Formats: sequence, C-alpha cells, structure tokens
Amino acid sequence: MTPTENVLGPVGPRPGGHGGSSDPAAVRTSGLTKHYGRVTALSDCTINVPEGRISALIGPNGAGKTTLLRLLAGLARPTSGQVTVNGVTPHQDPAFLADIGYLAQEIPLYRRLTAEDHIRAGAHLNPRWDGESVRERLTGLKIPLNRAVGKLSGGQRAQVALALILAKRPRLLLLDEPVAALDPLARKNFLGLLADGVAAGGLTVILSSHLVADLERVSDHLIMLAASRVQLCGEIDDLLAEHRILVGPRKDTTALERSHRVVQVTRTPRQTTLLARLNGPVIDPAFQVSEVGLEELVLAYLGEDASPTLAHLNTVGEDQ
Amino acid sequence: MTWLVWRQHRIQFYVGAALLAAFAILIVITGVQVADQFRSAQAACAMHQGCRHLGGLFMGSHIVGFLVISTLGAPVLVGLFWGAPLVAAEAEAGTTQFAWMQSVTRRHWLVVKIGWMLVAAAIWGGVISVLVTWWSSPNNAEQLNQFNPGRFDIMDLVPVAYSLFAMALGIAAGALLRRVLPAMAVTLAGFIGVRAVVALWLRPHYMSAVTVFYKVTSGFTPPGAFWQIAQGVVGPNGQVLPQPNNTPLFDGVPQTALPASCSSLFNGPGNPSPTASCAQALSHFRGFLTYQPADRFWTFQGIETGIFLAIAFALIAVTAVVLLRRDA
Repeated sequence: MTPTENVLGPVGPRPGGHGGSSDPAAVRTSGLTKHYGRVTALSDCTINVPEGRISALIGPNGAGKTTLLRLLAGLARPTSGQVTVNGVTPHQDPAFLADIGYLAQEIPLYRRLTAEDHIRAGAHLNPRWDGESVRERLTGLKIPLNRAVGKLSGGQRAQVALALILAKRPRLLLLDEPVAALDPLARKNFLGLLADGVAAGGLTVILSSHLVADLERVSDHLIMLAASRVQLCGEIDDLLAEHRILVGPRKDTTALERSHRVVQVTRTPRQTTLLARLNGPVIDPAFQVSEVGLEELVLAYLGEDASPTLAHLNTVGEDQ
Repeated sequence: MTWLVWRQHRIQFYVGAALLAAFAILIVITGVQVADQFRSAQAACAMHQGCRHLGGLFMGSHIVGFLVISTLGAPVLVGLFWGAPLVAAEAEAGTTQFAWMQSVTRRHWLVVKIGWMLVAAAIWGGVISVLVTWWSSPNNAEQLNQFNPGRFDIMDLVPVAYSLFAMALGIAAGALLRRVLPAMAVTLAGFIGVRAVVALWLRPHYMSAVTVFYKVTSGFTPPGAFWQIAQGVVGPNGQVLPQPNNTPLFDGVPQTALPASCSSLFNGPGNPSPTASCAQALSHFRGFLTYQPADRFWTFQGIETGIFLAIAFALIAVTAVVLLRRDA
C-alpha cells in the first residue's frame, strides 16, 4: 500500500460507476431475523442490493449467509422483519419463482437422472427455458449429457447445476458457494459468464464465497455477515473509499477512536496500524493515510468479529 | 411436473407392474384350476344327490393359498417403498431445493406427486383385490368364510382403501421425518397398528351384533357367510358357562355342569343319545351365538373403506400443511 493522503473526507457514491441508490432494488431487507429454535441464524439484517450488481456475500462459516439466501429465495420464512425481492415479498407463485435462480451449496440434482433429464425437466417446469444453452455449455466442457449426474465428478456436477440455473433466465441469481467445487480455470470462466450476463442487463447476482480474490474480480457490491449480523453492505467502491489504513508512531489512539470507527488495531514497538471507517478528515498529521484493499477490509472485519476485545489489543510483543 | 414424476419414479413403476403381472399370471393359472375342481366336485355331489357340504375339499395349492393370504401385507408395500421415500428421499438428497426453485409452486408439486402416487396405490390395491377375490370365489361359495377376519381384509373394496392409507401414511411419515429409513419404520408400525386396532376393536361394532339363543341339542347356524363373534352356553341360572380347556363338552355344555345321569354321554363310543333325565337336564341349557349376519358384508366393507379413506385424507392434509408451512 502506498501512503497517499493525509486528509481525507468520507466519500459518497462515486460518479461514473453505478448510479448508486438511484437503481431500483433487486433485494431489500429490513430488520430481517431468522431463528431456528433457540439458535439465531440471522439477526436484524437490513440490506439493499440495487439491480444489475454482482454482490459478494462474505462471512465466516455459520455467519448466516445460507440463511439469508434461503430467505431471499422464499425457501425459508423470516421470524421477523421484511424482505422484498424484485419488488415483492417472496411467495409461492410461478411468476415470482421464474425470476429467482437459487443454487444451494449441496448442489441438489437428482443423482440417478442425467443432465439431459434435468434439461427436459426444466423445460417442463419453467416458462423461459434455454435448454440449448445448457447442452452447448456442457458439451463445450466435455461433460456427458447422458450419464447419471451422480456419476459425474463434483466439479462437473457443479457445472451442470450452474448451467441449469442460468438456463432458467432468472432476474436474480442467488448462488451459495457455487465455485467451491470448481478448479481455478473453471472458476474464472464461470465468473466471467456471470459478469457477461449482468453486463447484458436484467440480471442481479448475489454469490457467497470464501474466495475473496475471486469475488473481488467480478463483484461491485459487498454484503458482509458475521455472527448472524450485517457488518458491511454497500458498493465496494464506496466501502473502500470510506475505509482507510492509518499508520503512525506508537502512541495513544483514543482520540482517533473517538472520532472514527476503528475496525482493527495492530501495534508493533515502533508503529501502530489502524484500519478505520472514517467519519471525517484525519487531523492528526502523525498518521499516514492509505487506501485499503478488499481483502484487507474483509479480513479486518472478520478479525473484529472473531474476538472484538482481542482485535483491539492485537499487540505484537517487543521480543517478536 | 407429471413428466418429472414419471422420470423419477418409473423404475418403481416397472418393478410394481412386474410384481403385479407375475402375481396375476400365477393367480389366473391356478384360479382356473381351482374353478374346474370346484365345478367337478359340485357335479359329483349332484350325481350323489346330497352333499350340500363339500367339507374337506381343499382348493388350490398350499403355496398359492399362502400367497393369497399374504396379500394381507400387500398394501403396506406401496407405503414402504413408494410412499415413505417420496418426500423423505428428496429431503435427504436436497433435491426438493431443485424442484422447489423451478417455476412451480410447492402446492402444485405436491398435488401432482401425491396425486399420481395415490392413483398408483389404488391400482395396486385394486388389481390385487380383483385377482384375490376372483381366485377365492369357489372357496367363498364353499367355506362361507369371506366375512371372517383375515379373509374380509383381502377381498373386494377394502384392499384399495388399505393401499391408499398405506401410501398416505408413508408420504406423511416421510414428510414429517425427512429420513427414509425412520419413515419406513413408522409406516410399517403405523400400518400394522391401525389395521389391528380397526380389525380387532372397531370392526365388530360397526353395527350391533345379533345374538341368537337356541337349544343346545338342536344347534343353530345362520344362513350364508356370517361372521361369528362369540359363541357359548348359558346355564340354568342364566350365567354364561366357562369353557375350561380340559373338560369334555356335549353340544357345548361342559361335563362338570351336567348331572351324573349324563355321564354316559362322555364315556360311550360313537354318538350316544342322552337318557330322559339327562335330556331334561340339558334342556335347561341354552346355546347362544353372537354374529354379524352375512347380508351386512357390503355394509361392513363400505364402512371400513370409509374409515381408511378418511385416515388417508387426514394424513395427506397433514403432509400438505407441513410441506407448505415449513421451511424447505
């Protein structure tokens, strides 16, 4: 990272990129909460994903990513709070379902049926169905159409499921760790396909993954969950603009912490590094301010969640 | 949706159809033999002018006879192998998440899937029942036992209702438990339990049984294929006599309840007739028979069918509520 500015104001939506809040929302939730028995899977989740975004859903295991996606797909019902998808509350209606593509982490396919069977089933069950695209895509990937899906490799199965979900031509794609089973090249190709689909218009994607580098390449929006709560939600450009890394001499940082939200503090004998969400200019000239990358930002929030107290006192000892 | 149901379950359909076909072939071949045997036995009787009773004539081979009786268990097979996995296997494999994310509502999915399964169950029960009923008709005409528990349950209408019930039970258990093996266990236990409770405790009371008292020496047999519920002897003081196992009986009256003048009845060879004083003593005893008359057979079939259809309907309703309300 390179120190660039000493003084930086909080930055709003940037011109030139997406229109920010002016786009209609593909997904909007408010206070969305889901309990399973005594377990809180999702708590007070308020997010807004404008149309035409590829939104990265990031969070540690058990943070509530799958729960959120299932609530959006209408597979689960919220305990409380509101959810609006493509302008309506998820409900059992062919028109609503036709607009949603949801691919669960387990890649649910009928193991004894072939890819071709799935393509035909899709044709019977969906108003818009581009079965030919699946055949083309799978043939291109040298995946046999007439072999039972259960006999394909994990990666091939994932490719079949992804091709099928795209053939449905949904307006909102919800993908739960879709690329986990794919090799790096297949991953790159698939993400490129998604980006093309979104660029062609009429498609919004929310995809969860642990592979931040992959997500960084295609996504322009970020939802970060930890411990069943939303930590961050917004355009990635905006989020990066709001956060800065501050590096300065080792000294008391309480003044900084009072005016900005410090996400992470790292102390060494000679210097202190802060990752903070700025509420205004950094006045203290002793600190050098530099931009933050998506991965650093994500890791900082993940670390904060893991143990809030320790993250604040994340001091590297003298003798290390 | 029907296409998917067919594609998913066609193997089960082929297996079921093959089993039915094999059973049908066996039943038709042996059934024709049984009918021939019955006709020639009747003709022989007619020539000898007077065997109203073909008594010990056994018709059909033991193996086929056993197979026919064992169709008592046929209905539960559809519940075990078609019903229980219907939702549970999809829940286990997660494929409900495939089906329910197509542009098809869960209600539609449920109606089509359960609808075809119920049709299949009705066909299964119906075909088996038609075959068994036809095969058994000479036996029924001869032995007049079609109203008896065990025979009543494998003929005419009720096997269809049992099959629908078993299917609904399997589907409901699978939907509630979401695991195939536990659902199968519950289906088996539930089927046997409900069938036993209905057959043993409810069926005798569909209509109040008829009780007839008669002189022990003359005896009494109702016409046709009646269902005997209870039989015994009432003593001179109006109390039902216990019938201990090791006591010899004369016309249902235990030796211990009779005076010494009747002892010759139990000692002599052949069919001794009672002495005058013994006949006097016997006249104070009356036999009784509690039974359901033969002409109630179809009423009972109808009531039992109604009960099992109602239970099946309730189970389907529970399944629908669970699947439509619960998170996928």
